[in-house]
This record gives sequence, C-alpha cells and structure tokens, in this order.
Amino acid sequence: MNNTNRGVNRTILLVTGLVLIVGGAAAILARTWREAGDVWSSALTSSVEALQRLDTASLLPGLTQTSWLGIGIAAVLIAVAVVAVVVLARLGGGAGHAVLTSDAERGARDAIVIEQGFASDALSQTLERREEILSARVRARRIRGTDVMHVIVTPRKNTSPAEVATTVGALIANLETLVGRDLPTLVSIKSGIRSRLASDQSRAA
Amino acid sequence: MSGNVLVRAARREMHSPRTVAAVIVAILVIAVAAYLALEMILHLAAQEPLLVSPGELAQRAVELPQAGSVAAVVAVAALAAVIGIVLVVLAVAPGRRARHAIQVSAGTVVVDNEVIASALAERVRRELNLPRGAVVVGVGHRTADVTITPEAGQRIEAAEVKALVADELSGYDADRSLKIRSRIATASSRGGRR
Repeated sequence: MNNTNRGVNRTILLVTGLVLIVGGAAAILARTWREAGDVWSSALTSSVEALQRLDTASLLPGLTQTSWLGIGIAAVLIAVAVVAVVVLARLGGGAGHAVLTSDAERGARDAIVIEQGFASDALSQTLERREEILSARVRARRIRGTDVMHVIVTPRKNTSPAEVATTVGALIANLETLVGRDLPTLVSIKSGIRSRLASDQSRAA
Repeated sequence: MSGNVLVRAARREMHSPRTVAAVIVAILVIAVAAYLALEMILHLAAQEPLLVSPGELAQRAVELPQAGSVAAVVAVAALAAVIGIVLVVLAVAPGRRARHAIQVSAGTVVVDNEVIASALAERVRRELNLPRGAVVVGVGHRTADVTITPEAGQRIEAAEVKALVADELSGYDADRSLKIRSRIATASSRGGRR
C-alpha cells in the first residue's frame, strides 16, 4: 500500500487507451475503405495546410525555419514529457516514519511521536514468537494526513484468520493502553511462499 | 475520522493500483514526446532530422490511405487498437485483488483469499476426520468451493460440509457473504484405483 494516486494511474491508462483505439480504428478504416481514406486525406491535408500557413506567418524575423508555431509545438511536447516524468516520480511514497504523532496541547509535555521502530519492535517481536505466525512486519503509513499503522502478518498454513486477527487486536490494544492513544490500524493477513512451504504445524500433533 | 481513513486504507489494499501498467505507459509517452520534441527542435535549428522531419511526418500521415501494403498498415493499426482496448479495460475494471475484508476485534483486517481457503479446509478436515489433502477449498470474491474426497467407505453429506464452512465463515464476518458450494468426489478417484 502506498500513496500512489490511483485516479491518476487510471486516467493515464484511459486516455492513452482511447487515443490508441481511435487512432488504430481510423487508420484501419482509412486504409481499407476508400471513402474513409478520402475523408482522412482531405481532413489531414487541410489541417496540414493550415499549420503550414501558421508556420510561415509566425516565422521569427530573418529566419526560414524557426517559427513561433514550431516553438509552441516543441514546448507542448516537452511539457507532456515533463508531466509524465512527474507522474512517475510521484509513484509510491506514502511511507511514514511515525505511527502516531500527537501535537502538544498544553506546553511541550503532551507532544508524542511514536516511531515505526518502536511499534515494530513491540508488535512484531511478540507476534513472531508465536507458534502460528511465520512473520510479522509493522509499517507506518500516512493516508490523507493521518498516521496509520499497518501490521502485515503471514500466518502458518491452516491458521484461522479470525484467530490471528484477535491475537493482533489484543496486542494493538495493549500498545494503545501503553501510549494512551488510539492507534488507527490496518491489519493484513497474507499468504506467501513462506506459508506455503512451512509445514502446517511446527511439531507433529 | 480515523474510521474513514481505515476504510480508505482497506479499499486500497483490496484493489490493484495499476502501477505497472501506468509506469509502462508513462515511459512510452515520455519516449514518444521527447523524440518528437527533439525532431521539432532540430527542425527549428535548421539541422538534419534524426529520422524524419516534422513536415515529412505530417505528409506521411496524409498519405496513409495509399501507404505501404494494406496488410502492414492494418496489422499495425489493429495492434494499436487492441493495446488501447486492454488499457481502457485496465482503467475501468475494478481490479479486485484476491482478498477479503473481515471484521474482527482488531478493526479493519484484510485477508488473502488463500489464507481463508486454507483455514476452511483445515476446519472441515479436522471436524470430519479426513486425511490430509482430502479437502480442497478455493475462495473467490463471491464463492467458496469445497471439494472433498472421502476415503473408501466413508459417507459425507454435502449439507454437513456446507454447515461447517458457514459456521467457520460466520466467525470472520467478511465484507461480502460467500456462497458456499460443496462437492463430494467419489472415493475411488483417490488411491489409484479406477
């Protein structure tokens, strides 16, 4: 889980997909169906001619190829590339460092920051000591400005998820008592290669 | 307030972010836009084009209805359209992951379907006293499929299995109730006898 803006991801896919569909379909029609080909040719010819007129009209003084139109098109293309780079750069992220940040209400005494490491030590070590749990990790997340603790547990095969959830819930309740604050927590119970390979029970029953 | 955040977090855990597809598309968009911008700048600076000048590119687009062989144009265009359809489907489809949200004391819990399946199989196997591997469970978004292969001579009622699975599931309080389908395979299909 991270802060990737899924709306942006899906918008990129949708817009690119529609452009490809429309372009592909138009090209197929234009090449296989004479009338569509005529429409394609006349439409593109007139727009290319319009662009050429604009190109000549906006030439920089004293130059033969350098026009404002060309500069504008190049700028738009660069802008598109930059936007795509920004989208890529903003993927991921959203990992916080604290599971709880509480600002001081009265003086500095009430300010509390609980770092991910603290919660991780407190929870995952206790959890991993348990027989039915193969691994436990704690991550701090920031979702819309709120710190959320994400506990990721991989139980042994054939363990009831309700049981695991109850165990984790009890530990979180303990931690909440310890720090005296509510800790918004998301618990993920995962299966993975480790749970598939590990035997059902560590010892024969 | 924190409840809303957790609902949001759980929803994010249960749907694919489509990051891989978006990254591939973004990289291709960058490549195409950067290439076209480069050709444009070379043209503005009155330099030789790398491959085709912008004007020539426009001319080729105009001449497409007469260009190359029909098969080649149609093949390329069809490929583009198919990729486009795939992208639109990716954009619009919910992209649900094989997970369920369950309500237990811990609050918001998201569980892989595989974990639920293996827990159901273990419960059924233990209660009906079946050997290891005799119970196969598949859990989907809406259904839990239970297939039991009893040992020779053992009688198992499908309704009994259904009740057991329903009981185990009621302990999870999953976000959407699962339709249980149980199937008893014939005993002889196990152990090599046909």
